[in-house]
Amino acid sequence: MRRLCERELPALVLLDLNLPDSHGAETFRRIRQKAPNVPVVILSGQDDEALAIKAVHMGVQDYLVKSDVTGKQLERALRYAVERQGLLLALEVTRKQQIEFKNRFLSHVSHELRTPLTCIHQYVTLLLNGLAGPMAPDQTDHLKIVLKGVNQLHAMIRDLLEAARADSGKLRIQPRCLDVGELIHQAVAMMRPSADAKRISLEAVVDHKIPLVYADPDRTLEVFINLIDNAIKFTENEGSIVVRSALVETDTTAAYLSVSDTGRGIASEAHPQVFDRLFQNPNRVDNNRSGLGLGLYIAKEIVTLQGGRIWLASAPGSGSTFSFTLPLYSLAKLLFPVVTHQGSMRKRIVLVRTELTPVSKALRGGWKDTCEKALEILRQCIYVDKDLVLPPLGTSGYGEAFFIVASTDMERVGILMDRIRAQVGALPELRASGTLRVTAEPIPGLPAADPRTLEQQVWGVADHVTEIIQQGLSSKQDFTEKENQANAN
Amino acid sequence: MPTDIDGLPTNRAKIMVVDDDPDLRQALSLRLRANNFETVNVCDGYSAIAMAQKEKPHLIILDLGLPAGDGFSVLKNLQQYPALSVIPVIVLTARDPEGNEKRTLEGGAVAFFQKPADNEELLGVIRASLQAGWGWRRGLPS
Repeated sequence: MRRLCERELPALVLLDLNLPDSHGAETFRRIRQKAPNVPVVILSGQDDEALAIKAVHMGVQDYLVKSDVTGKQLERALRYAVERQGLLLALEVTRKQQIEFKNRFLSHVSHELRTPLTCIHQYVTLLLNGLAGPMAPDQTDHLKIVLKGVNQLHAMIRDLLEAARADSGKLRIQPRCLDVGELIHQAVAMMRPSADAKRISLEAVVDHKIPLVYADPDRTLEVFINLIDNAIKFTENEGSIVVRSALVETDTTAAYLSVSDTGRGIASEAHPQVFDRLFQNPNRVDNNRSGLGLGLYIAKEIVTLQGGRIWLASAPGSGSTFSFTLPLYSLAKLLFPVVTHQGSMRKRIVLVRTELTPVSKALRGGWKDTCEKALEILRQCIYVDKDLVLPPLGTSGYGEAFFIVASTDMERVGILMDRIRAQVGALPELRASGTLRVTAEPIPGLPAADPRTLEQQVWGVADHVTEIIQQGLSSKQDFTEKENQANAN
Repeated sequence: MPTDIDGLPTNRAKIMVVDDDPDLRQALSLRLRANNFETVNVCDGYSAIAMAQKEKPHLIILDLGLPAGDGFSVLKNLQQYPALSVIPVIVLTARDPEGNEKRTLEGGAVAFFQKPADNEELLGVIRASLQAGWGWRRGLPS
């Protein structure tokens, strides 16, 4: 076995499952690993024929029972095995080419569709904004309907591309530590106008005890919006929708999120297909254009990629509840090696907060890049054995705060802070476009004779760090809200 | 309404629109002029550089798919001229942000918008970029 793997690959492997250095199905698995494209034919004894059949299911081309085999049979079996393996490979290549072609096609089509769509969008909004002269009330109403159609079309093009990406495994997830409540409020605020239009009450019930989750903020917001949008579509006027976040006692690793409506519900026969591509609920309320049927498929892909699951509870006449989970971020696990030393807690732990605020809210694209660079610099500034840069926090809407847990005295932290200021301040983009603030906060030391186990103490520190960070995040949110109000006035 | 940075009222800034679609150019110009900006329209990559040198716009709105030098090469060429390299460029394209957004920002653009873009958001970024741009130029040795 070992020697086979060291040599140049053969055209075919005739394999006895029981070799001196490898046995049974494991033998085949190892060969598959080393030479995935080489056809394998198994030679089995009468006693291990069942095993040989199992191997055929795993991708072995054929098996021959040693006692029955003749020279002619052997030759023919080997010849066919090579042929069939060749066909399989060709099929696989074609399949990949087709996926690639489909993606290129969709990407091209969506680009080409966007151009005329942009044109319609531009001129409709020009007219609506009165830039081409005053409009009669009726005309304004009609144009608003055109604009609604344009926006629907726009959403469909976006979904089409997203689904194509999900198909080919190109959906990218960039997780951060998030306050999921903040995301829920954001999604609810965005969907409020659509709900109001049908006089549907849309409410967020957020459990503030939920620790940070580890997920991609943009993608997760997309999931919430997809689910709320669906709920609005399938709920009658004056119904109600509740978006909820909760913890479940039996599962300490995830946050449970749900969107419930008082709509018509989905018959249980249809439940297995709900998350399939192109699923359309036959029970929809208005015969309005309902979309491509890709929203739930995309939602499922996003949730699964983030390590969660998504499911549905619904019955005709009693509404639907779509639920999904997001992994909780375990700060304690991350902290353990940093805040403990030789079997006991370190004496001092300090939380260093580095806050970047752009001079203007608008330079969003470049800003994201700048934050990436700042994070990279922070990682270079720390003492690798004693400090820890936490993953990016919050939705990064306005400004960005990074946190470092440093397990050392204030004097060393002072040096660390100076280093950060000097290094981050040396970024030309930041000097031109942002302001920097570095602050440190000691985390109250635990009493020397702490009766708790080391693990409990680390969890205590983690809880405390989380608390400080969440306070920081919510004050940032307040600031953003104030900013929005100031802009609106 | 932000005004008077470096003696230049923001609302009279000159914006160059580079797009090969004449209808879109016109719509965008109409909207910009309605918001008190001056506009210069250009339809391809080659004219973009020539016109930028002649008109010295305060900001450029740039499409990526252009004849005679695409948006990326326009970005690159603008960087060649010290006087043009300081002009903030906002990319407005039908192309996918994935791959293109990062590439244009690294190429010197200040923001990336996919068409169709939200008008108010675009105007907000234009105003902010103009302020940031002028603030920065004030710091340069003359």
